[in-house]
Amino acid sequence: MSVITLFSGNFCKDKEIEAALVAKTGCRLITEDEIVAKAAALSNISQGKIKEAFFEKTSIFNKFTHEKERSIACMRLAVAEMLAQDNLIVTGFPAHLIPKYISHVLRVCSIAELKYRYEEAEASGINQKEALRLIKENDKNAAAWVESLAGNKDPWDNTLYDIVIPMGKTSVDEAVALVVEKAQSPAVAYSDASALAVADFLLAARVETALSKEGHNVVVTSTAGNVTLTINKNVLMLKRLEEDLTAIAKKVEGVKTVTTEIGKGFYQTDIYRKFDFETPSKVLLVDDEREFVQTLSERLLMREMSSAVAYDGESALNIVDEDEPDVMILDLKMPGIDGIEVLRKVKASKPGIEVIILTGHGSEADKKVCMELGAFAYLHKPVDIDLLSKTLKLANEKIKQQGV
Amino acid sequence: MSKKNDILRSAITLFADRGFQDASMTEVARMGGVSGATVFYHFKSKETLFLTALETVKDGIIEEFDAYLDQHEFASGIDLVEGIISFYLYLAGSMEEWFLLLHSHYPYKLALVNKECRSHLEKIYNSLVDIFERAVALGRKDGSILADDTRKTALVIFSMVDGVVRFKIYNLYDTGALYMDLINSCRKILKYKT
Repeated sequence: MSVITLFSGNFCKDKEIEAALVAKTGCRLITEDEIVAKAAALSNISQGKIKEAFFEKTSIFNKFTHEKERSIACMRLAVAEMLAQDNLIVTGFPAHLIPKYISHVLRVCSIAELKYRYEEAEASGINQKEALRLIKENDKNAAAWVESLAGNKDPWDNTLYDIVIPMGKTSVDEAVALVVEKAQSPAVAYSDASALAVADFLLAARVETALSKEGHNVVVTSTAGNVTLTINKNVLMLKRLEEDLTAIAKKVEGVKTVTTEIGKGFYQTDIYRKFDFETPSKVLLVDDEREFVQTLSERLLMREMSSAVAYDGESALNIVDEDEPDVMILDLKMPGIDGIEVLRKVKASKPGIEVIILTGHGSEADKKVCMELGAFAYLHKPVDIDLLSKTLKLANEKIKQQGV
Repeated sequence: MSKKNDILRSAITLFADRGFQDASMTEVARMGGVSGATVFYHFKSKETLFLTALETVKDGIIEEFDAYLDQHEFASGIDLVEGIISFYLYLAGSMEEWFLLLHSHYPYKLALVNKECRSHLEKIYNSLVDIFERAVALGRKDGSILADDTRKTALVIFSMVDGVVRFKIYNLYDTGALYMDLINSCRKILKYKT
């Protein structure tokens, strides 16, 4: 038997799955609260404060206190200490603290469409408005948490898990049967190699906690006692920092060697490009093809354009209401409200937003409709990123001229 | 060589006074009493001139401190810290343009994209903090200082002293009035064990 992690959206029958899994496998259940309590004991930070690490919002004082990073480091250590045992079920946010390189872990996610979660909430006596608030909050926190740990903006993305269970189409019994079956698979069996991986994880967590107690925040990895510290902050007195970090890490029992290196965050791109007003500062990407949107978002980021992402027309319109983007890149074919409707609504309420249509199967007739509705440009997929960049720049120039 | 030094002296003053953008090579030439062509003969571009100016500041600070520490005797680590603080403030007063340049934002922006600039700045700060650090270590050895962490304590003391220099350079307050209190505060910090 191996370790099972279960990360769920709220109102996705997670508690039922948990209970049934424990009953069926006899594994020990490790809840979020248990990890929080252990981390509090390790760090002398209160449980309430540790829990704040799960919230998207960070205290304004965190820049100086690093309390969030310390909380996460101590939770990571708590999880690492737990992994000394086998046959565990780790639930909730701490599930994501277990690194990918530990192979005897079956990572499970249970999630469902909004409609299903509403019904679940209603069944437990929560009205729709409150349910919407709770779901939104849960998903926002989950997204921020997963992004900070795995760099993935979508907390339910199937690349993060071995199994993603769509609860709208699966009963609790089916879900449990599936998880139990997969947990038997040789791919997630406990082995000598994965035992070593657990030891590496534990040592790295110990070093990270020791560093975080001194106020340092670096990424720590370890291979058989050889520890690597990755500095992701631009620090001018780098050698001094490296010496300080090395001295602290070397004191941790079990550390053989310490290497420091510079991470991606250390080198900022050219400062002048960062303040390059030629590119729209806020781009909203609207497309139901998640992979395409994420790739596009990353590629735009490489060109110094920050972008928000929406996977359907309704959330796009919500974003437009809350946080007005400068430019929108919009797909026409989407479930729910289609792109043309989104374009119509945006142009009616916020005509200042320039909309670039990017579609894989638009017709000439569609193009005509879009341009009449006031779209800025009409491009076809697959799009050349340079052409898209150029179009974005042109859209921005138009916005600037109108602003003058 | 002296022409080159004249150019550098006026470059430091102008860069400190105007910032990188607004200092012109023509003016540097005029102030240094040489022709524009001479400036460009010695320094290929404004950025090269700026980097050389920064390097001059770096060498100057380090030399001045070495000379001061060579010529003075100190009874204990805590007295050495006091001496260093006094000398740092004195230097900031007598070589104001060095510190104006060091306290301007531009070199730090340039350091993000320019290795040479980064290395000059790192060397300046490393040398200064090292001096404080050695003094704290000495005091811990001879018992005149009780602070726990040599490195962090040295950084905190240095940032206080450097903050007072900034007060002085930008005329935020009459720092002469703070001098004794700065020394006493540092003494208190160093005498305290957490």
